[in-house]
Amino acid sequence: MQQGATDSASGWQRACHECDLLLGNCTAPPGGKLVCPRCAALINRNPARSIHYTAALSISGLLLFIPAATLPLLNFSIIIVGSENTLFNGVFSLFKAGYIWLASLVLFCSVVAPFTRFLLLAFISLGCLWGALDRPVSRAVRWYQHIREWAMLDVYMLGVLVALIKMQSLGKMVVESGLYCFVGLMVLSNLTLLSFDQQSVWRRMARRRAAAAASQAGEVTS
Amino acid sequence: MSRAEAALENGLCTCLCCHQLMRLPPGETRGRCTRCGATVHDRIERSLMLTWALVLTGTFLLVPANILPVMTVIYLGSGEPSTIIGGTLELYANGLWGIALIVFIASVAVPVMKLVGLVILLLQVQWRGPRNPMQSMRVYRVVAAIGRWSLLDLFMISILVALVNMGAIAEVRAGPGSTAFATVVVVTMMAVRTFDPRLLWDARYRRNSEPVEDWRAGGDREPAEEVGDG
Repeated sequence: MQQGATDSASGWQRACHECDLLLGNCTAPPGGKLVCPRCAALINRNPARSIHYTAALSISGLLLFIPAATLPLLNFSIIIVGSENTLFNGVFSLFKAGYIWLASLVLFCSVVAPFTRFLLLAFISLGCLWGALDRPVSRAVRWYQHIREWAMLDVYMLGVLVALIKMQSLGKMVVESGLYCFVGLMVLSNLTLLSFDQQSVWRRMARRRAAAAASQAGEVTS
Repeated sequence: MSRAEAALENGLCTCLCCHQLMRLPPGETRGRCTRCGATVHDRIERSLMLTWALVLTGTFLLVPANILPVMTVIYLGSGEPSTIIGGTLELYANGLWGIALIVFIASVAVPVMKLVGLVILLLQVQWRGPRNPMQSMRVYRVVAAIGRWSLLDLFMISILVALVNMGAIAEVRAGPGSTAFATVVVVTMMAVRTFDPRLLWDARYRRNSEPVEDWRAGGDREPAEEVGDG
């Protein structure tokens, strides 16, 4: 297979991933975005300082995960008897009731996938600073692509709201501190969707590789 | 738009993971991306077959998902199991029509819309090619974007099961329909992933081998009119 992002013979640099139209220069101006002229697919979004923002957002996401997963989200009480809901105990109750498949799906979409997503983003945005980590970082980018759409914090949030309103007629529903952390987590997760641009990771790697090759050539000639 | 502008016709293909353009060795349809290491195909392998299989699975599972109860709310010892549609109607009857609408869209309309949309796209690829590919792309994008919201009902059930758990006073139990519904959502999300929208454009070329519209001439991206019919 031929190396490189550019097909030198024809000068094409990229093809639209949704309609296969060949395209020339495909990097959006910083802060802007490019869409395919034929099918209007988003070709490239080039957020300013993508890697820095992604690193900051994903690390704060990982930290915020601790209170969001351990503190109770909601408290429901009828007269004096009350019970609490955390991210995990719904999964446990389903698991105990025998709904293993449903429990693991809920666990995966609301805890495992969002957490892995933050972890991968933190690893990608910090790891691409070192040349030694090039291979694991490219693998992490690949995993990120697969896991991205399974992280459903925003859907879970809507589920919390529906539960909140639906049970209001039965008893007293109180929003607990964990839910505020969870909202923060959801906002952070959506912000990383905006800030992360894998092309800037690839560009950074290519630049470093070119610089290494140049310095090596310099050593040989001197 | 001429066929020559499709990457496939030039022996090039795009890595769907990192979007790198690559030249596959002649005669090969798959390889490995030199940049991210993902397996690269000229088109997603067996895309139509897999999508059909998953769509049919989803359609069959939609029956138990809607017939079997998903949840039982027991309050002071009494309570009846409710299905997905029953739960929505109950919300509507209680006057919470806003929430009822959200739940209805997420758990009834979205799965059906997804399946219908995918069947339309599959038929377009296999029969004649889309008349208006932009419209098909719009269908594809809507189907891809709305899929995850169907899990709303299941998240709500998992929250309520933990939250309303007071023995004799009030209890919420999950029902067997929820398992079927979860499988519908997962299967349809996978079906969208296995469908390759570039096949729509290939079918478009097959249908209409001469140039139809020129996007560079006018600002209008939609074909103004159809030239030739098949």
